[in-house]
Amino acid sequence: MNLSDSKKKLALGGAVCGIVAAILALLGNPANMAFCIACFIRDTAGAFGMHQAEAVQYARPEIIGLVLGAFIISVATKEFCATAGSSPMIRFVLGVIIMIGALVFLGCPLRMVIRMSAGDLNAWVALIGFILGVATGVFALKQGFSLGRAHVTNKESGAVLPVIVVGILVLALCTSLLKASEAGPGSMHAPIIASLIGGLVFGAIAQKTRMCFAGSIRDVILMKNFDLLSVIVGLFVVMLVFNVATGRFILGFSTPGVIAHSEHLWNILGMYTVGFAAVLAGGCPLRQLILAGQGSSDAAMTVVGMFVGAAMCHNFGLAASGTAMNAETQEVVAGAVPFNGKVACIICIIVCFVIAFTNKRKEAK
Amino acid sequence: MRKKELKLVVTFHTTADAMAMEKACKENNVPGRIIPVPRAISAGCGLSWCADLSDREEIVSMMKKAGIEEEEIHECMV
Repeated sequence: MNLSDSKKKLALGGAVCGIVAAILALLGNPANMAFCIACFIRDTAGAFGMHQAEAVQYARPEIIGLVLGAFIISVATKEFCATAGSSPMIRFVLGVIIMIGALVFLGCPLRMVIRMSAGDLNAWVALIGFILGVATGVFALKQGFSLGRAHVTNKESGAVLPVIVVGILVLALCTSLLKASEAGPGSMHAPIIASLIGGLVFGAIAQKTRMCFAGSIRDVILMKNFDLLSVIVGLFVVMLVFNVATGRFILGFSTPGVIAHSEHLWNILGMYTVGFAAVLAGGCPLRQLILAGQGSSDAAMTVVGMFVGAAMCHNFGLAASGTAMNAETQEVVAGAVPFNGKVACIICIIVCFVIAFTNKRKEAK
Repeated sequence: MRKKELKLVVTFHTTADAMAMEKACKENNVPGRIIPVPRAISAGCGLSWCADLSDREEIVSMMKKAGIEEEEIHECMV
């Protein structure tokens, strides 16, 4: 079936992804984290011991499934194309920046939408920042921003990340080398096989629909084109129905257990950073995984950058803490962005501006 | 829903080339509009220039003058 020739089918694709996320939440993934690229990359980085935050270490099979799902479907439909050479180190830096912004907010754009569907008003506040960030990126595009073209390269290069994620899966299944949280969000997960299948399905659909959270808003601002946005709306509606039906919809700012904080300025600036950097890198965290799966070494560099960024966030105390209930006193302790995180977020925004307005398109000779 | 028709679709190596194309076309009164690359053409998420089939020559000569290189020129239902 051609999933991409009408808005209805695109929305249907998004809806199926929403169902996948809802099922994984029911099967044990953390409360309304369900499916978050930034959180899951952070957890996987933790499983490798790249950071020592004990509550968030687990090799998430969803990440493995996403890359493999995109890889398998793109090979099967002859869309796999190994490309490389579009400013890889700048893309690495953008990956680091995306992760820092995401962990200041506490979630990638996918999780922002999932949190919005659960009534978390902090995510709605962050959406303002995300849209502004994407708009700033669009402005840079209009000014001639470019990281240069990618070239077709050896297909083996495009297959490296898919092979690496298979390696992670083997390590997770056959060895005890990887760390796994015993408490906290990292300990909450659906069974491995369910997570893997969920990731594969999600990855395949995302490849076919070109699902992208930054791209959807970019296309609306740039061309008043709502195709990609319809995928996101489909996902949002399914998650909204699921949350209302299962009593998980709680409208409010202070929601212990959701892993969110209510520092509005930093929710906005965190997602501003993600939106801005994602447009410069050509896609949100989810899209980077999918592009890497279908052969882009440049997107794979962004993914590597996100892993390193996740490690930096916890090693240098940049990641925000979520509002939580103190088990002994039953008092709600407000989540917050640490000072280091605020400084890092500002630095990231400055670096985005430097990247956006120094890398210019060159005319063909 | 708008009926799809056969159109000329020019794809580019970079988004910046597509943006330059839009600017150059506006300046030179060359017809067409910018659209997301149709899914049938590519799994990528870039931008492309869409115009009537009859505008092909005008577009190609303007691109040469403006120093904009196309990736491919397609004819597809948009």
